Amino acid sequence: MKKIKWFLLIGITVSILFSCLIVVTAAEMTAEEIINKRDDNEYFDTAQMEAEMIIVSGSRKIIKTMDALTDKKNSLVEFTNSQDRGTKFLKREDDLWMFFPDAEEIIKISGHMLNQGMMGSDFSYQDVMEADKLTDLYDFEIIKEEEFEGRPCYVLEGIAREGVKVSYYRRVSWIDKERFIGLKEELYAESGRILKETKANVIEEIEGRWVPTNSVMENKLRKNTYTEFTITQISFNMEIPEETFSLQNLR
Amino acid sequence: MIVKKYFKIIVLFIIFFLLGSISISAKVDIGGELAVSLINIIDNEGNISAYPQASLDLELYIPPFDNNQIKSAVYLYTNPTTGQLDFMFKKLYLKHKFDKLHLTLGRQPISWSFGSMLNPVDFTLGSVVMDEETGSKYQTAVEAYIPLNWNSSVSLVAAFSEASQDIKWGLRGRTMIEGYDLTLNYVREPEIDFMGTIIPPSQRIGFTTKGDLGPLGVYGALGYYFKDNDNGNLAYLIGGDYSYFFEAGNKIYFQLEYLSMKKENLSSILGPFFAGNVTNNLNENIGLILGMANYEIDEFSQINLMAISNLNDGSIIVIPGYRNQLSNNLSFNLSTGIYFGKEDTLFGSNVSEGAQQKPKGMISIGLTYSF
Repeated sequence: MKKIKWFLLIGITVSILFSCLIVVTAAEMTAEEIINKRDDNEYFDTAQMEAEMIIVSGSRKIIKTMDALTDKKNSLVEFTNSQDRGTKFLKREDDLWMFFPDAEEIIKISGHMLNQGMMGSDFSYQDVMEADKLTDLYDFEIIKEEEFEGRPCYVLEGIAREGVKVSYYRRVSWIDKERFIGLKEELYAESGRILKETKANVIEEIEGRWVPTNSVMENKLRKNTYTEFTITQISFNMEIPEETFSLQNLR
Repeated sequence: MIVKKYFKIIVLFIIFFLLGSISISAKVDIGGELAVSLINIIDNEGNISAYPQASLDLELYIPPFDNNQIKSAVYLYTNPTTGQLDFMFKKLYLKHKFDKLHLTLGRQPISWSFGSMLNPVDFTLGSVVMDEETGSKYQTAVEAYIPLNWNSSVSLVAAFSEASQDIKWGLRGRTMIEGYDLTLNYVREPEIDFMGTIIPPSQRIGFTTKGDLGPLGVYGALGYYFKDNDNGNLAYLIGGDYSYFFEAGNKIYFQLEYLSMKKENLSSILGPFFAGNVTNNLNENIGLILGMANYEIDEFSQINLMAISNLNDGSIIVIPGYRNQLSNNLSFNLSTGIYFGKEDTLFGSNVSEGAQQKPKGMISIGLTYSF
């Protein structure tokens, strides 16, 4: 009887220890696994969306609206608000082209303009039209875990890979542990100075993905200025004809 | 010829027929831009004359249908000196996209810009001058555009000018090599009757390139103007642009270019805004340097400074400006133009016999509303 009790005790103890090991092992995802899961959620073959961008500085604000199409490497954005109506941008890999609706001409935009705010916003052309996976651009590591606005998060730091052209040398990302979506991101220059901070205010599940349908980008170099980006309609993985991302389609 | 005479009417008829027979008529939208300004001209004695000006850009937005696109845009404006109302159709065309060809018939902008401030090889010289658009880019024309791949194309233009019985022809090829946008074009200008003066036909070929060299944007153009019975004239332009970001988050943008060409072709390039002294020494080679700096004060306002100088005689035009977007659709614009130069210089105050007296300066203050 005594032997049976000992075996039971040992068995229960081993089971508890084994369970803890499983839990610990499951929680110990690597940074790459976390970012890959985030990329799986946030990146897609193709997407079509309608969006609104509100640029705020102090008490003033301006609203821009746009339609966008994107695939893995290319993006096409057309502005639909009255002041910019018909203005289009085409990004193909590292090249940016702009269509001027009044003159109906297409001009290749210089590369240094990619990092400037799109139509005066805090989102650069690179921010809005970037299609590369983060794992292709940055080396990530987990620096801590903490809660952000009630959601448990992994906090990851990404440093730009050598030879890769990126707008931000370093990024610190708060990634929701359950939904694997970025809730907050700090974007830094190589000097260490924080340039921008972005937060996802509203997250919705659309076609099986968690999508930040409302986010805010704050320019940390200026006071009282930010841009709110709202996706009003989005759909994924539709077929986009090959000639969509072409100069002929800008005309 | 009969086709040229009734071309606009034929196109208009086709457009109205299509509009009347399709169900998308209910989705047609109207938009545009209303601008009011006060233009102050300062003469060499310091006297200021003020002229109010108003303009309305009105465009009909018709959704594309069955590979067709209809565009209609009219520009109404008051003449600043006479106060009379006038108008111009900027666009009134029908475009059809076939499988391997886009055909555009009617009044349309023909612009071969590549991002420079002056363009010596445009379809119509002087259609864009120092970031200011002139009306000369709008042509009654037929354009055949043939896309070859995503970044390459050939286009052929036949334009009908009111100042000529003959057709103006243009051919342009475009492609991209090693990240550089390249174009090659040919234009044949017909004989023109300009206020009783006959300007003989002429031809020109042009080459442009635009790309990046490290952190700089670079561009250039080379043009050759053929002349009957004479040697032709060569013109070339080289330029670059650069952005610098301040620690505080503001940005300044620079653009600088150099243009070399014969004086006799200069008035076309400079357009109606800058009618300098070009009636003497027409065979003289002129070197112009142009610069522009644009500083973003914040998300809604910017100041800029443009200058153009003739390196041969040191005369210069300086054009400071300020723009502030007051609200979603309303913006405030202030621009000035000041001429500096001794007598008989290109941008100087004095004029040759028969040329128009130039002002010393100009200040324009205005508001623009988009809807």
